[in-house]
Amino acid sequence: MQQRSGGWKVVTKWLGDKELKPFKFQEDAWKAYQQGKSGIVNAPTGFGKTFSLFLGAVIAWIDAHPKDYTHKTKNGLQLMWITPLRALAKDLGRAMEAALQELQVPWEIGIRSGDTPTATRAAQKKQMPEVLIITPESLHLLLAQKEYPKIFTHLHTVVVDEWHELIGSKRGVMVELGLSRLKGLRKDKLKIWGISATIGNLDEALEVLLGPYHNNGIIIRAKLKKNIALKSVIPDEIEKYPWAGHLGIKMLPQALPVIDESQTTLIFTNTRSQSELWYQALLREEPMLAGALALHHGSIDMELRIWVEEALHNGILKAVVCTASLDLGVDFRPVDSVIQVGSPKGVARFLQRAGRSGHQPGAVSKIFFLPTHALELVEAAALKAAMEEDLIESRMPVLLAYDVLLQYLMSLAVSDGFHAPEIWEEVRHTFCYQHITADDWQWILSFLTTGGDALASYDEFKKLEREGDYYSCKSRMMAMRHRLHIGTIVSDAMLKVKFMSGGYIGVIEESFISRLQPGDFFTLAGRNLEYVLIKDMTILVRKSNSKRSIVPSYQGGRIPLSSNLGKMLRQKFNEALSRNTKDPELIALQPLFNLQEELSHIPKDNELLIEQIETKDGYHLFVYPFEGRLVHEVMAALLAYRISRIQPITFSIAMNDYGFELLSDQPIPLTNENAKALFSTDNLLIELQTSVNATEMARRKFRDIAVIAGLIFQGYPGKHKANRHLQSSASLLFNVFKDYDPQNLLLKQAFNEAFFYQMEEARLRETLERIKESKIVITSPQKLTPFCFPIKVDSLRDTMTSEKLEDRIKKLIAVNG
Amino acid sequence: MVGEIFHFQEQHWHLLPQRAIFWEEEKTLILSDLHLGKAAHFRKAGIAVPAGIVQEDLFRLQQLITQFLPVRMIIVGDMFHSRENNEVQYFRLWRQQFPHIIIDLVMGNHDIMADEVYAQLQINVHPTLTIRHIHFIHEPCEESNGYQYTFSGHLHPAFVMAGAARQRLRLPCFYFGQHCGILPAFGHFTGHATLAPAATEPVFVIAGKSIIRVQ
Repeated sequence: MQQRSGGWKVVTKWLGDKELKPFKFQEDAWKAYQQGKSGIVNAPTGFGKTFSLFLGAVIAWIDAHPKDYTHKTKNGLQLMWITPLRALAKDLGRAMEAALQELQVPWEIGIRSGDTPTATRAAQKKQMPEVLIITPESLHLLLAQKEYPKIFTHLHTVVVDEWHELIGSKRGVMVELGLSRLKGLRKDKLKIWGISATIGNLDEALEVLLGPYHNNGIIIRAKLKKNIALKSVIPDEIEKYPWAGHLGIKMLPQALPVIDESQTTLIFTNTRSQSELWYQALLREEPMLAGALALHHGSIDMELRIWVEEALHNGILKAVVCTASLDLGVDFRPVDSVIQVGSPKGVARFLQRAGRSGHQPGAVSKIFFLPTHALELVEAAALKAAMEEDLIESRMPVLLAYDVLLQYLMSLAVSDGFHAPEIWEEVRHTFCYQHITADDWQWILSFLTTGGDALASYDEFKKLEREGDYYSCKSRMMAMRHRLHIGTIVSDAMLKVKFMSGGYIGVIEESFISRLQPGDFFTLAGRNLEYVLIKDMTILVRKSNSKRSIVPSYQGGRIPLSSNLGKMLRQKFNEALSRNTKDPELIALQPLFNLQEELSHIPKDNELLIEQIETKDGYHLFVYPFEGRLVHEVMAALLAYRISRIQPITFSIAMNDYGFELLSDQPIPLTNENAKALFSTDNLLIELQTSVNATEMARRKFRDIAVIAGLIFQGYPGKHKANRHLQSSASLLFNVFKDYDPQNLLLKQAFNEAFFYQMEEARLRETLERIKESKIVITSPQKLTPFCFPIKVDSLRDTMTSEKLEDRIKKLIAVNG
Repeated sequence: MVGEIFHFQEQHWHLLPQRAIFWEEEKTLILSDLHLGKAAHFRKAGIAVPAGIVQEDLFRLQQLITQFLPVRMIIVGDMFHSRENNEVQYFRLWRQQFPHIIIDLVMGNHDIMADEVYAQLQINVHPTLTIRHIHFIHEPCEESNGYQYTFSGHLHPAFVMAGAARQRLRLPCFYFGQHCGILPAFGHFTGHATLAPAATEPVFVIAGKSIIRVQ
């Protein structure tokens, strides 16, 4: 056979000596690689997907240099391996090095991420290793270096690992732009491969990776199925289990047997604060775990996290409480059980987490679902059903991210500068920017050179300079500032936390610490700490034995329910209603359903339930579409807007994944007669845009956009915020853009993101169509129901009003006076 | 635009929704925290905030001048945002329309330009200022400082009202504490800080085009 080349034989012999045989998908990938194709390898973790591509490149190298491959060194960068997680880089590198050594290929493996020491960087600049493992951010940093094209003279392959993780985010856009430049430099000599877990839109993922005009890409599917056993931990007394909550500590005693009977357990929580609480509570409940229990989340010191990961590897730990920080990554072979605390909100995420246990090919992944409130058990039943039907979510690629484009152009400008027509061709052939107009492009360029339109003669805007079609940045200060700000992960300003006596603990959000006074206690990395003072952007603390300490709340913990899971959830409620379900979760919940039915109603598949309840807080209207938080947020705003046109009225709005609440100080005029009209799709788009919340949502989106586009100066890492006079909040910038430059593309992007990603307009329309066909059931319960309770206690609220500002103020004065 | 005349400390203070006070007895406009030149400062550093904010702010000030015909303006600090730039030159041209009006600037932490620049702009600079026992200083004082009353800026105050059905409103305000009153920021390109005044202290919020006393 033609493909049994010399390199192929060397590699299969090496595997054979270890009594290993390549999987079929690995051989398929090698073949496709030999044929010069690009594409995506789709395989679950634990089946050697890394080697499907890495060995492909090695085979090609041996084929190209059959005589001297064992001693050919200093060949320049051949293979670039993009990974979303710098923690992954080290293990990847180790695995590759081991293979190369045994194959006697003297390639060097380099790592380039935020953690790479300066000396290594300098050495790499002199002589690039043959393989470079890199994060998307570091790739852009390379592009922001003088004479960067030299680095890529010999590059022939780029592999994007965990592409499913990147595709739905702006980091994915960074990869698209980086690839567009590399393709521009290397033309058709470049092969591009992705590695992806199964997602709903794998074909689209290929288009995004290779660009919408590719004609050479294939998807290689491993067709290996992971065996997953899901078991819900059901509260002993469902009647006494709380109706609302998100911590699940009450169920902790029932998690202990799982930990006890497993070799190593990962306990996934949805937020960092929850993981801190669980860590503390586990130690209280089971002191024997001390020393064998660890905590892992994004705010903990890097070294400590690495230690935890190593310890997991070596099987020293009995359990680790973690967040999404351990979603991805290397194989932790000793892990044989996973506990998911609270809903994972999506099938894909749940599968990913389940897959962290039983990592060996063929092993069963054991995952235990531990509900944080009673109704969440329905989600467990829904997850199980969705897994059986392979209903895995799609990851929607980001479109027209002007902020990332501005950042990218600035990166090119601070390195060698760029010729606009050349880059324009590259950019508009990416998936993200395939619909960018020439006008948009001109606006982007002028935003960088003249600071947008409305220019007065005395303007002193400075960023890029233009000579013909060549753009470059001449200011060293601006170039340095830009390099420090490359990236699209925007977090609240983080402060370091250190002991008075020295010793670094982790980082904490500035907004959290600003609410504390010296002398207060808080918890970080599982320790009780006393806040002593803040100095040079560092919080100094000492150990404390105080019982009452505050757990920092971190933003971004709220993940919305996916539509797949929402659909399953409605089915499961239907099933519960039929009373002949076999799901243990639904059977356990029967008393709760009975109560709901008694107080109000359980909606069938073809019904929409609305509850009207009066409490001392005011008049509540609860609506249950079961479509997830994001859709509910928009629907609530829309309904509030439509009702507010009937009469002047003010609402405060709350929502969760099951439904939403409108709360007012006056009776809400929704009746059997007008209900259908209030949920109609007529004038949907116009009314959405006029509803107050569009602006508020856009304002929230604008925060990230402003940072990514370089409008917010974040100061230098670890240093005092220099340049106080350049400080401003994104919200303030949003206001001035709205008032003085409404045509600004970044503003437009904020509204787009609010509409198309956050509002999920299409999904909203579908929901309203569904409601049109449904029966609307309005009940007036005398008490709060199991359904409405979790929404009512939610404190995050929006407002919608049609009353005059003056009238509202007068009313508020009357109430308070 | 409807102001509210507040009779306080034996004087008449016109609290204006344009974010300024007209002091009737002294024919004086009092404002604070204009932050002139802030947008230009950002733009010079490559941060493309919209140009045109300063024009709007100064146009608003111009309208106040033609309405109240003051003989003097007191700026309670942070008149300019940073070092000299072209927006400062724009102000110089604007200033020429009203050469007869005295401008007294009480220095704020942002007022860092060289003395000659202020002189050129016909601005009298003072660390603090006292007229009719009324004291002006940029940063608010907590305790009594011996004067009859004190006016400050610096904080860009806002007031939050909460009411039934979890309603909430946050608006810029004039605040009158026991010893010290705080003016809202005049400049548009400025943020707010929420105050928590005692129930006995008068607060006037700026509600669009009118002023409403909320406590």
